Amino acid sequence: MNRLLILIGKIIVGMLRLFGRNAGNLPGIILWHLTGGKCCKMFKVDCPIIAVTGTNGKTSVTNCVAQLFEQSGKKIIINKEGNNLDTGICSLLLRYCDGSGKVDADYLILETDESHVPVVYSQMKLETLVVLDFFRDQLDRNGEMETLIQKINGFCKTFSGNLILNGDDPNTARLGKANPDDRNVKYFRAERYAFATDKIFEASEGRFCPFCGEPLVYDFYQYSHIGRFACLKCGFGNYEPYITASSIDLEKPVFTADGHEYSPKLNSIYNVYNMTAVAAVAKLYGIAQEITDNVISNYTVNNGRMETFVLGDRLTTLNLAKNPVGANMTLRVMNEMNGEKELLFVLNDNVADGLDVSWIWDINFSIFERVTRVVTSGTRAYDIAVRIKCAGFDPANIIVRPDLDEAVEELARTEGRKFVIANYTAVQPARSALKRYISSHGGKCDE
Amino acid sequence: MSEIRVLHMYADMLDLYGDCGNMEIIKYRCEKRGISCVIDRYSLDSEMPDFSSYDIIYIGGGADLEQQHISADLLRCREQIKAAYEGGTFLFLICGGYQLMGKYYRDADGNDIPGLGLFDYFTVAPSSRKMRCIGNVVIRTTFTGATVDVVGFENHGGQTQGVKAPLGEVLCGNGNCSKSRYEGYYEKNVIATYMHGPCLSKNPEISDYIIGYCIDRQNGAHTELAKLDDTLEHDCRRVMTERLLKK
Repeated sequence: MNRLLILIGKIIVGMLRLFGRNAGNLPGIILWHLTGGKCCKMFKVDCPIIAVTGTNGKTSVTNCVAQLFEQSGKKIIINKEGNNLDTGICSLLLRYCDGSGKVDADYLILETDESHVPVVYSQMKLETLVVLDFFRDQLDRNGEMETLIQKINGFCKTFSGNLILNGDDPNTARLGKANPDDRNVKYFRAERYAFATDKIFEASEGRFCPFCGEPLVYDFYQYSHIGRFACLKCGFGNYEPYITASSIDLEKPVFTADGHEYSPKLNSIYNVYNMTAVAAVAKLYGIAQEITDNVISNYTVNNGRMETFVLGDRLTTLNLAKNPVGANMTLRVMNEMNGEKELLFVLNDNVADGLDVSWIWDINFSIFERVTRVVTSGTRAYDIAVRIKCAGFDPANIIVRPDLDEAVEELARTEGRKFVIANYTAVQPARSALKRYISSHGGKCDE
Repeated sequence: MSEIRVLHMYADMLDLYGDCGNMEIIKYRCEKRGISCVIDRYSLDSEMPDFSSYDIIYIGGGADLEQQHISADLLRCREQIKAAYEGGTFLFLICGGYQLMGKYYRDADGNDIPGLGLFDYFTVAPSSRKMRCIGNVVIRTTFTGATVDVVGFENHGGQTQGVKAPLGEVLCGNGNCSKSRYEGYYEKNVIATYMHGPCLSKNPEISDYIIGYCIDRQNGAHTELAKLDDTLEHDCRRVMTERLLKK
């Protein structure tokens, strides 16, 4: 039966490839139906599996972890295209397994959607789970936040592998207590950085101790609800960190972890957390220091995450924002920059965006400094326009252009520094529109 | 200069789908008209406020865990809130705030969380946590004196029953119960609804109904509110109603 299923799967993959289609998800969906929802069970995986999950940063951390092993000369399999549901992982393994379902690799490195961790790893044995953070994101797909955490917590109750957790995120750190017998729980954290605040700055989840219900007390907030927290009643939050990022200076940017200084290319506190998670995996698996150095200091992104374009001669930065935390981070970067600037915000409400756009009301637009004009676009262009207007921005300087090409045209019409924020399904169309503008009007982009 | 005083309860816990945005909108629309708007917050660690001194009491929605946390505290405020409501203070309630003013909320495990019992309705969560009413909603309302189709976003498990006077008729979406005909609860000084979005962002008529109610109550006579330019809001709603009602 197994062989037959694998054969069917491989034929579908082969046919899709023959027609020039990327076999990202479809073979997995078909097998999901044929196997009654257990489409990952038919594979024989003898090598260790390392999974990375969380709301923000999954793709970055997964890619870096893969590079750690790749540069160490290991054969790895990774879901690079971000196909991170059970069906996507099934499609990936179909491509790499033999006729009996045996997967030949030294390590599987799998970005895994938060809600699919229990699904996938009840079918395949997981060695290490890295959990980065939990933020409000696509709430209506996953049900409420608490339901999502409960799902993963349920999985962790019987999981005795390595659990690498963001110790500065109470939503994540609580998973460390799910299985009291698991001695392999490791927390990463970061010391206070220059823009950390004493009071919470952005809307957030998880204000209470999940164990005793007391309000959590914070020494500082790095961003959103990420920071040094503790429960004064039951002591939740008091743990020995496995690895800590310190001496964080985002101007250069540099940070120190485990006594070693790293110079990453990206200058956000986000990236410090992501790279500290990478350093934790490197430490756990005994990766050579020069390889870890190399991976962390060379990691950059070219997919709408702080990506640079020049529209004619207007320098433009595009950043993905799937949730308020991501958008607030871009606004911070904008504010930390002198001079006047303009913003294009592209907002879609497709299925993958979670259908709902009310998260834009958790973006702190009142901090706008020296922003002279806003253009809005996407399927919910008017929603973001209303939101920015109600934050006190003069509606006379808000221009709605639902069509993306018209929006980019409008943005580039005036001189000065430009920023573009786009949500999940908007980011690739936004990149394409920026490139189309450049190819017809001149300018340059990274590629 | 007139002043509207709002008590925003549990803002730090009940803030789902941009519910706090409603406060930003009320304040914005007051200040554009030269009406000062003071928003005080009340939460678990606050001192007991004088509820009746406020023009509006506002409660948003939250995740189940957060709603459990506040329910005992809310009961402690029951008499004061009831007195404020009977004295004419406006109650603006979203989702969890809506549910908790009814008789009770029966959760998925069958446990009852008592409500304040200000109104006759009650809410029962389905036994499966997966059964939720999720998506955009359009409801037809007439309480402002005109027929207005308002747009919001719902996400609730709880099925609210025994509603005597709904806020509007469902044109798209679920409403009080799964695929029900009506949405929300309405009295002259009460708007209770499952609509997030936030609710007021695309529906300036509701904001102005609430503000107008408060000003009229203070003056003891009807005063016409100054008109604001709502072009963006109306365009925003038009795009959504055209898309949602087309099907």
